[in-house]
Amino acid sequence: MYIAAPKVSDRRFQREYVIPMSNDKVADVVVVGAGICGSLLATRLARAGRSVLLLESGPRKGRGELVQNYRESAFKSDYMAPYPYSEMAPHPRFSPTPNDYLEQAGPHAYQAQYIRMLGGTSWHWAAQMWRYVPNDFRTQSLYGVGVDWPISYDDLEDYYYQVEVITGVGGEPDNGSPRTKPFPMERVPASYLQQRVTERLAPEYRVIDDATARNSRSYGGRPACCGNNNCMPICPIDAQYHGGIAAQEAEAEGVEIVTEAVVYRLEHDIQGRISAVHYYDWDKVSHKVTAQTVVLAANAIETPKLLLMSTSDRFENGIANARDNVGRNLCDHPAVGVSFDVDEPVWPGRGPVSPCSIGDFRDGEFRAEHAPFRLDISNGSKVASVTKELLAEGYHGRALEEQVRFRSARRLALKNAMEQLPDPNNRVTLSATRDALGLPTPRMYWDIGAYERRGAEATRAHYTRIAEMLGGTNVKHSKEGAFSNRQHITGTLSMGNDPATSVTDAWGRAHDHENLFMVGTGVMPTVGTCNVTLTAAALALRTADRILEETQHG
Amino acid sequence: MAKLFTGLVLVASSWLVAQGAQAQEADAALIQRGEAVAIEGDCAACHSEPGRPAFSGGHPIKSPLGTIYSTNITPSLEAGIGHYSLEEFSAALRQGVRADGGHLYPAMPYTAYAKLTDDDIEALYAYFMHGVAPADVAAEETALPFPFNLRFSMAGWNLLFLDDAPFEPDPARSEQYNRGAYLVQGATHCGTCHTPRNFLMAERDSAALEGASLGTWYAPNITADVQNGIGDWSHAQLVDYLRTGHADNGATAGGPMLEAIDLSFSRMPLTDLEAIATYLLPEGSESAAPINAEASSPDAETSNASAPQPLSDDDTPAALAAISPGERVYRNQCAACHAPDGGGLNGLPSLVGHPVLDKPNADNVVMAVLEGVWPEHRQGMLGFAEELDDFQVADVTNYLMDEFGGSDVRIDTARVAELRAGGAPSTLLLLARVGMVAGAVVVVALLVLMFWRRRKRLR
Repeated sequence: MYIAAPKVSDRRFQREYVIPMSNDKVADVVVVGAGICGSLLATRLARAGRSVLLLESGPRKGRGELVQNYRESAFKSDYMAPYPYSEMAPHPRFSPTPNDYLEQAGPHAYQAQYIRMLGGTSWHWAAQMWRYVPNDFRTQSLYGVGVDWPISYDDLEDYYYQVEVITGVGGEPDNGSPRTKPFPMERVPASYLQQRVTERLAPEYRVIDDATARNSRSYGGRPACCGNNNCMPICPIDAQYHGGIAAQEAEAEGVEIVTEAVVYRLEHDIQGRISAVHYYDWDKVSHKVTAQTVVLAANAIETPKLLLMSTSDRFENGIANARDNVGRNLCDHPAVGVSFDVDEPVWPGRGPVSPCSIGDFRDGEFRAEHAPFRLDISNGSKVASVTKELLAEGYHGRALEEQVRFRSARRLALKNAMEQLPDPNNRVTLSATRDALGLPTPRMYWDIGAYERRGAEATRAHYTRIAEMLGGTNVKHSKEGAFSNRQHITGTLSMGNDPATSVTDAWGRAHDHENLFMVGTGVMPTVGTCNVTLTAAALALRTADRILEETQHG
Repeated sequence: MAKLFTGLVLVASSWLVAQGAQAQEADAALIQRGEAVAIEGDCAACHSEPGRPAFSGGHPIKSPLGTIYSTNITPSLEAGIGHYSLEEFSAALRQGVRADGGHLYPAMPYTAYAKLTDDDIEALYAYFMHGVAPADVAAEETALPFPFNLRFSMAGWNLLFLDDAPFEPDPARSEQYNRGAYLVQGATHCGTCHTPRNFLMAERDSAALEGASLGTWYAPNITADVQNGIGDWSHAQLVDYLRTGHADNGATAGGPMLEAIDLSFSRMPLTDLEAIATYLLPEGSESAAPINAEASSPDAETSNASAPQPLSDDDTPAALAAISPGERVYRNQCAACHAPDGGGLNGLPSLVGHPVLDKPNADNVVMAVLEGVWPEHRQGMLGFAEELDDFQVADVTNYLMDEFGGSDVRIDTARVAELRAGGAPSTLLLLARVGMVAGAVVVVALLVLMFWRRRKRLR
């Protein structure tokens, strides 16, 4: 049999055969973080012939094991509970007792729930894949609030579509985000709850299908949603796209993936280019990776942490932080919620957990006055929360059983996705605590401004009206003045044209480091009124194309 | 006179026009009938490939001897069969001989198509010449290893194994039965998969439709035998199965059968499906065994929509510690859809008493677990080739066979590995090469002998 001799110019060959003597690795591009953004970018680079090394701090786990963990977990309402935890790559943990990985230094606790594992945090999500509305990119020019992006909706439109095709997105086409091509996926059939709520709120409110990467037919080797109502914390049949699939696709495309590789330092050369990436394996053996291009995709808290840790004589505040912008301008959707019992059974818990929402308040002149928002209608099973509530009210025996049936059939919950303005004081820094590898843990400062508080007031007025229209009783608003974060962590690596106020340029490149790029939600300078994954993924593909363009002759 | 002549011409020409229209209509009807035959024959399964023009070939058919690529059968003159006469077309379909005299491999089921009537061949010819758009894309060349690249060797094979006499109806049987027999033996070529083959890969007529492995998927016994075949199916169940891919005895199609249902059977007229059922389950054999309704839907009582029963499951650590590795995999990967007790959920199939568990081997269970089940329309099932290793696949398969099938049939990891790799390698290649070497040795020996004798004589 004839075997082609390897070409000496083949980088994979070099990596495997020429430099096997040490721990060190060489690649064209090294990507730190194997979540959905890092994996999609890595796949695109590998497909174009680049050698790509993808480092993931967490372990590799299969879906079956996660399902098992969830089935066997006593903490069914804790979406972090099924995910593997290790002191070597710690992440926030809440059950059985909180590990306080994130030190809280601000007036509001910022309880991020991200996963350090191959595939990242989109293992537990509701597959929401929204585009921003065009005006989200220029709120400063239009409404005098927030910041303008260095790019426009039109710059992203095609990339939005590319990600929608990869992940199989469907939804209501008329949702405020113009499209040049139809959704690649047909809508998932509306659950009974969605049908009833849509009918009863029309025409005053327009309830629409969410844009989701959820199959309504077999697509990408994955089956259609069959209504397990378990999107969070884990879809047991992969009917929705997630970062684990993205990582699998990257590997199939030839990307070399190393898990349990905790990057702790970026090294630079005399020009300020990143010359090496250092990581510990879980035995705390250090490894060094050299690459032409370095991409950080380690989420909007861990990436700033890594930059802040990578200090040197020349960059004493850390890499990409010469003007003290790294980790600042943390934005999320500070949420207020409501729940009530509808005057008819609407049967939440059948179909996807988050199928529909009201998008009437995402944009308008009012944005000069108060925060815009979308209203998400939950279709998650309410049996557990209702039972807990009834036990607290002292129900037992037959009455308890009857009431569980009664209330869980009627319980409706809404939550808003409200835009928070960037504020440099809201930020990620390093705490004084060290993890098992001796690396600092993140410290969070999060406050909510008057703009958002006025937005919350406007939201509550709608909650009251909606409850009234649905004959709601037992109406409970979330606590006045309290806001929960929604895991839409943005702003900490903001892109912008002015290095004085941003971390990265319009391509996600660090202003001061020519070969260092960042992808993920952190580069998004504003949070808009929708879940942020699609925009981050679209930006990641755009960054990938930029890297390919620039390194064509490399 | 001139007037009369003109009148005659007018009459004649209008007659001609009418004739022409009639002929056109007849042609259209013929083409339409040909399309129906093409659906019966499932030509698209092999000759159409997603992303390419219909019937332009290039579909890879993995045979134990190597990959055979289907050909372009559009009326394209350069890449297809546009230059075929009806006779040449017929010879290709019924004798496996191309217009250029080359022999087809029996991946093309010409031994079955040999049964087609002249009428059906003519209709099929009309369809492929006029009902299919020509596509000038050449399909990939098939390159089988030596000696199978010698297509003329098929001539000898045909001599041995090709019965090219068209179908003859049995006058003692009903028209419906004969129609079914004609379809099963001919166009729908059921035996191609369901009849076991001899060591030269020819169907063994003595064991027609008694079940055979395709290397990976197993095409089960579909004779009316109650024990081993489908004798315990009702006509209605078989018709439903062919029409939709599932039947109320719990059967759900997967693999190549599902493809045949999606592309062929589901598009055939109901009368033809009934004819097939009449032929495969002739009177006297039908439902000789009572249909085990309880086994097929164990939750018949509990699935009553007016009184939904809660799913119950024991997730206590003690219960979890006691479960077998196979049940562990089942709970992690399967139970979300098929329910912890195997009874199915919300229209998703029950596995309790599922006919796939009642086969002489567990190959199809493994194949479904590895590849998934992907109907053209309805709910698909995820494949687990990436997620599960050979041990886990064997464990869960054996759990299903035992727990929900009540079967003693088991599978081992070696067989799972083989199925994952695409089936056991064929011994035919080895046999053929050994045979040829042996032949060569004999020839050389004879030559030596002759030489020796001649020398002896010369002395």
